[in-house]
Amino acid sequence: MRYIYYLLALMAGAALSFEGAIYAELGKSVGQIETSFYNFLMGTVIMGLLLLFFGKGDLPHVLKAPKWSLLGGVLGVVYLTSIVVSVPFVGVGTTMVAVIIGQMIMSMVIEHYGWLGSERTGVNKEKVLAVLSMTVALLLIN
Amino acid sequence: MGLFMILFTLIGGITLSAQSSINGALSRKAGTLETTFLTFLTGTLFLVILILFFGQGDVLGLLNAPKWQLSAAFLGTAYLLLTVMAVPKIGVIAANIAGIAGQLVIGIIIDHFGWFNSLHIELDWKRMLALVFMVISLYLIYKGNKRSAEAKAKPTGGERILVQEQ
Repeated sequence: MRYIYYLLALMAGAALSFEGAIYAELGKSVGQIETSFYNFLMGTVIMGLLLLFFGKGDLPHVLKAPKWSLLGGVLGVVYLTSIVVSVPFVGVGTTMVAVIIGQMIMSMVIEHYGWLGSERTGVNKEKVLAVLSMTVALLLIN
Repeated sequence: MGLFMILFTLIGGITLSAQSSINGALSRKAGTLETTFLTFLTGTLFLVILILFFGQGDVLGLLNAPKWQLSAAFLGTAYLLLTVMAVPKIGVIAANIAGIAGQLVIGIIIDHFGWFNSLHIELDWKRMLALVFMVISLYLIYKGNKRSAEAKAKPTGGERILVQEQ
């Protein structure tokens, strides 16, 4: 029964690759920034509905929250736009490997210093070797 | 051009990682749906300004775009919901690693078949070998994160004293 949840997580990742491939196509016809805009606009609509019906959190908290904690949207724009721009040139596979390497390195740094409200967790040799191994994969795939 | 694109995408990964830490911090107080909503909303506002000043595309073309392309917007939501469902059952580390595996494998499959009119890149022996290194890397991420988690769970000096006092 537990395996079904691994499958769900796999499907979640797969959804990201499908999203990248399809948006690359949309980007060719309407433009890359415009495609990002569409994604964020539709995301706002979908999440707005989900929030209205199922939200249990505290939305007004964002007015009191530290300002750095409101920067997620801008960072997301950089991520999505980079994918829409890159996929037509190097393909989905290479793009995703590069994104994941960026994530692996950055989350290692963030956790090592305990930045952005994360719990401080030191770098260990497995994590460094994981980045190296993924970099070899990037060199091979490209 | 390809190398430049890869560097650009690496930066995309870096910002994504920063985003998940930042959103993690905000969602502890504001809630997951609320944080995601805010992420999309601020992203939209930021893009309105970008498009007005630097947009060279055709925003209104969205109205005529094929619906299958527009439906990609639901995939981002699907990612979020599937992850939220999986994390409580199998844990953050396993959910992340399974997610990455799905992302990589499907990415290579899309390339191989040239789905969605994308670049057609066949699964040759080099890409197979790349897959092997990806699996090694995912295994190492799992080991590394597990070790960090165990190190955290170990009682520190302070906690031990507390236990003795009780």
